[in-house]
Amino acid sequence: MATLKEVRDRVMGSMGRTMYTHVAEGPINALSTCKDGSQVVLAGRNVFKIYGIEDEEFTERANLRVGRKLSLNFSCADVAWHQLDDNLLATAATNGAVITWNLSKSSRSKQDQVFTEHKRTVNKVCFHPTELHVLLSGSQDGTVKLFDLRKKESASTFHGRSESVRDVQFNPHRDYYFSFASTHENGNVLLWDLRRPDKAERFFTAHSGPVFCCDFHPDDKSWLATAGRDKAIKVWEVVPYKQIQEVHCVQTIASVGRIKWRPQRRYHIASCSLLVDFSINIWDIRRPYIPFAAFEEHRDVTTGITWRQDPHIFLSCSKDCTVYQHVFRDAKRPADHANPMGLCFNVKGDISFAASEALGGGGRAKGGSGMYASTRLPSFFRKNPDPTEQFRSVNSNLSVFTNRNRENPTAMDWFVKTAENYCLTGRPLSELCEHNARVARQLGRHQIVQTWLMLKLIFAGLGAVSDKGVVTSPSLGRIVSLSTTGGQGDLLDRVSQHNETSTVTDMQEAKSTEPPGITKEKDPSEPGDAEPKSALPQPPATDSAAHADLTHVHGDFFFGDGEGGGAYNDYDSLPNMDHIQDWTLPGEAFQPRHEIIDRNPSPEELDRPDSPTSINESETVSLSNEKLLKGTVLTPTPMNPSFLDVRLLAPLVVNMLHQYAEQGDVQMTVSVMIVLGDHLKDQVEEQIQEHWLMSYVDMLGCFKLWMVATEIVKLSYLIGVPSVGTLNQNSTSIHSNCNHCSKPLTQKGWLCTRSSTDTAGSGILDLYLMDCTRYCITVQMSEAGEHLFCMSPCSEGSVRVVPGLQPWRTHSSHPGVAPHQPAVSRRLRTLLPVHLISTAHRRLRPLLPVHLISTAHRRLRTQLPVHLISTAHRRLRTQLPVHLISTAHRRLRPLLPVHLISTAHRRLRPLLPVQHKY
Amino acid sequence: MASYDDDENFGSYGVVGSFPKDFGYGPDEQDTEDRSPSAESKPRILLMGLRRSGKSSIQKVVFHKMSPNETLFLESTNKIVKDDISNSSFVQFQIWDFPGQIDFFDPTFDSEMIFGGCGALIFVIDAQDDYMEALAKLHMTVSRAYKVNPNIKFEVFIHKVDGLSDDHKIETQRDIHQRANDDLADAGLEAIHLSFYLTSIYDHSIFEAFSKVVQKLIPQLPTLENLLNILISNSGIEKAFLFDVVSKIYIATDSSPVDMQSYELCCDMIDVVIDVSCIYGLKDGEGSCYDKESSSIIKLNNATILYLREVNRFLALVCILREDNFDRQGIIDYNFHCFRQAIQEVFEVRFKAQNLGANLQSSSGSLDAPAANGIAGSKPI
Repeated sequence: MATLKEVRDRVMGSMGRTMYTHVAEGPINALSTCKDGSQVVLAGRNVFKIYGIEDEEFTERANLRVGRKLSLNFSCADVAWHQLDDNLLATAATNGAVITWNLSKSSRSKQDQVFTEHKRTVNKVCFHPTELHVLLSGSQDGTVKLFDLRKKESASTFHGRSESVRDVQFNPHRDYYFSFASTHENGNVLLWDLRRPDKAERFFTAHSGPVFCCDFHPDDKSWLATAGRDKAIKVWEVVPYKQIQEVHCVQTIASVGRIKWRPQRRYHIASCSLLVDFSINIWDIRRPYIPFAAFEEHRDVTTGITWRQDPHIFLSCSKDCTVYQHVFRDAKRPADHANPMGLCFNVKGDISFAASEALGGGGRAKGGSGMYASTRLPSFFRKNPDPTEQFRSVNSNLSVFTNRNRENPTAMDWFVKTAENYCLTGRPLSELCEHNARVARQLGRHQIVQTWLMLKLIFAGLGAVSDKGVVTSPSLGRIVSLSTTGGQGDLLDRVSQHNETSTVTDMQEAKSTEPPGITKEKDPSEPGDAEPKSALPQPPATDSAAHADLTHVHGDFFFGDGEGGGAYNDYDSLPNMDHIQDWTLPGEAFQPRHEIIDRNPSPEELDRPDSPTSINESETVSLSNEKLLKGTVLTPTPMNPSFLDVRLLAPLVVNMLHQYAEQGDVQMTVSVMIVLGDHLKDQVEEQIQEHWLMSYVDMLGCFKLWMVATEIVKLSYLIGVPSVGTLNQNSTSIHSNCNHCSKPLTQKGWLCTRSSTDTAGSGILDLYLMDCTRYCITVQMSEAGEHLFCMSPCSEGSVRVVPGLQPWRTHSSHPGVAPHQPAVSRRLRTLLPVHLISTAHRRLRPLLPVHLISTAHRRLRTQLPVHLISTAHRRLRTQLPVHLISTAHRRLRPLLPVHLISTAHRRLRPLLPVQHKY
Repeated sequence: MASYDDDENFGSYGVVGSFPKDFGYGPDEQDTEDRSPSAESKPRILLMGLRRSGKSSIQKVVFHKMSPNETLFLESTNKIVKDDISNSSFVQFQIWDFPGQIDFFDPTFDSEMIFGGCGALIFVIDAQDDYMEALAKLHMTVSRAYKVNPNIKFEVFIHKVDGLSDDHKIETQRDIHQRANDDLADAGLEAIHLSFYLTSIYDHSIFEAFSKVVQKLIPQLPTLENLLNILISNSGIEKAFLFDVVSKIYIATDSSPVDMQSYELCCDMIDVVIDVSCIYGLKDGEGSCYDKESSSIIKLNNATILYLREVNRFLALVCILREDNFDRQGIIDYNFHCFRQAIQEVFEVRFKAQNLGANLQSSSGSLDAPAANGIAGSKPI
């Protein structure tokens, strides 16, 4: 089939030849051929002629520009030859007239009708492809007019209220008999129905800048090509009731003046530009960077293209006063001269580079780590040459250059190191935070570092106080109990209350306008010492021992503050920590003399007379004065608690925890949770906490960090998640007697030698009744040491209750119930409630081969209700390191149903290194 | 640019980059300048938009020759600023630079006065910002203005598009167009038509957009375009622009497609001519740097010539033509002479009509004018 076409094309092609004729009168603006393509009419400002197209040359047939008075009507912007009537022509005149010409007229002047309805230049005329009397014209004045040639006036006017019309085209397809398109100078394309002149059917913005032309695809009904000043040719898919979509885009080097689809070639389109580029390019729209063929005969801008019903011959006219017939045989093929090469790089900075073998493929360049030649591929990988394909295939070499300066993004070393080095308990909160921050800093995880420092800043004040064994409550800013004298306590109480009411910005202002007097007073104690530890206040040695103690406490605060102050600055660059940044602003504002803050107790700063929020100014003034004189009260109320109210901040911290968990760093979430302990009590739902803890323990299991996992499990008691805390206890039950014969187990293992024959080899040892009200749960222990369960309706009494045994584990509620099945096989696992399975699996995972895990997960996924599945998924995602997921999935692929694989793939794609995709 | 030569003496003076404010419309019209009919006959344009959308920048760049980079340092406008450029330009621009929050229900806001005599309302939307608020504002402004003056033309500049990619530009325009029109349709105001332009002060798109806006307000545009068509087809000119010299807005061009590069070249030529004549063309420190004698030829090294001629005090004709067509400069000059004559007649007709107080449609009147002139065919047969 294809070869036949080729042969025919070759024969047809040989009939024409490249030829041209020069028109002396002047530049040609447009051309049009008659139906059989034997004649062509040329039109320009000073030209209006008909030429016959012979085999070897053009012959002048008629000059229509005749008459006594050569009016502006003869100055044509466009011309159209009717495709049904060989005697009918229409021209668009620059003065706004639309003129029809009847070649069959006997007189010398063939001018037939003149429509002078347009106010400005008519840019385009177009005959209906199948109607004899219907003519469209588009004008600068922004209107499209429809003429019935039997009438003296226009039949209707289409006012798109866009700008000047540059092109109008009837849709050539029968199904769209009434529709046409108009393109406008403001970049819009309007699709009209002939019967509805008031409003366009469809409308879309196609180009930035004027759209100069459009063309309906001759075969594909839905395709419309447009081109404009933005140097692009775009192909749009126009389907009724669907959004119009851009399906192809070709970028050219100059604004495009005319386009025409190539007949019988679905993907080929001819274009000529409005300036700079004088050649005519035929593009294959699938290859938008280099023209498929180019014709460079014209010496000036090409103004019109028309095909001669043959994909190999077309005519073009130009401002250089010539009309050419081009034959494909003589085309230039720019693609043949271009060296085929490809270059691409992946997220890790690897570069792959392919070049044809003729060029050496570039594989000899230094640093190439891999080189592949297409010729070495087995034959079934090679593409069969497609006869319809217009591209030639080239043997090429592919070189891959790996980027050596990179860190493996999928490595999980940081996880292991962090898990091992984090300190979660046993020391004061501030020290813990500090330690963990240091660990994170060593690993280069700066955001984590800042988080720890922030936490310390927020909670450490309180933490430090509580570590000193002083009575305190989680609500900061009320550490009144610390003050040693009653009177001052009162004052402080008031002060701290006041602090709570003041806002951060107010404080900031207050500080920045701090009167110099205070500074002076403070300076002598330790002038210019910025070292936090050494900046401990030097209290007047007049007070009690409690005072020294308090001073010490204050030192702790100060340290935290100083560190925090450093943290603020870093935090400025972290946009997602905005909420915390807000709180840190005061410290920043006060930084230039921050040693003063340290020695200055907060009440003074916050309640200075200048403070805009001062409620009781006189009182606070007196307070600060008094305090300054005494110099004793300064320590108990550290600055931090005064404005960092936990009740305000805790939700933010919880948000942060959620965010880390969402990002997959459940380690951070759990660590923070444990370190903060009581501070976050009741802030996070226990379920979520459990979820996080479980996930983290699982992950630790994956990396065989058993010790850490145990520690976490142990610590989970402390933060009030006992369900996790019991993990350590429930997997160690030891059975001493056989269920059936009640004889002591003598040999190793779970199988009773005497009753083994009765239990069908499955070694059922224990049967517990879990919940008698509705369901029974059978818990079995097989010889492999796994727990197998079955839930069965209790009605039949088929469940044996073995008295005298402790329940293995109690659960007050079960999320799901599975139908009853014989409680023998390991497949029971699929019937269990999720949390039980997941518990089992969690324990199994480090031990089982991957495919077993995956099997379990698959079963889970198909049987569980949606919200549970999603939970499971989320857990998987956060737990597994990327490379494990990918490994698992690769192994899974033969096992999984398609839709699951695709889900997995979508998730994996951004994560996987590129070679996995090959 | 291979060379350029100013073949005329510029016997006048001015300051580089700025025009004397005392330009009259022309000797014939001097007496009518102060009267309201004349003032109303020139297009008046309002510039509105949200705070920081770039109105002042547009105004400075287009009418005060400020370099686009300097607009960064413009203070944001805090009160309504009215800038009248009516005396130096062909177009009477009254630019109302409204600060962001304008209360239409404020009794001091005289919408009658502001929208009443206004030809076009340009609403500037910052494309790099979230434009939802701007769209709400646009809707309010447009519906309000439409009530006062249904003849007003609404132009929307989607501004600061220099920061957007090509695809994004179109997408933004599409989105804004869709939303704005939907809003109007919801309010039952389908009759209002909004035109959209993608603009940036860093290229000539802002000038082109302004040109389109101004052209809509010139009733004689078809005649001018026709005259230019005739001129270029009879003189072998490729492209001709009729420029408003001060703002470098083209008030008319021939019907062939405008290409940005040609337009930019012509704009730059005007700058060059004005600057050079300011330095060398002034005698005794008097006069203007742009006068009747102004004309210039610049030869480019791609065998193209830029040719500038003065048409009247505000207008200049800038042509692009091939070198070989310039051999017959005499013919071109003669044609230009006829062209200038015709243009003057066009505007005379308008003023006569106004002076007589006759309610003649100025465009229909002006169509006859060139016919009386020497150029054939200016009137459709």
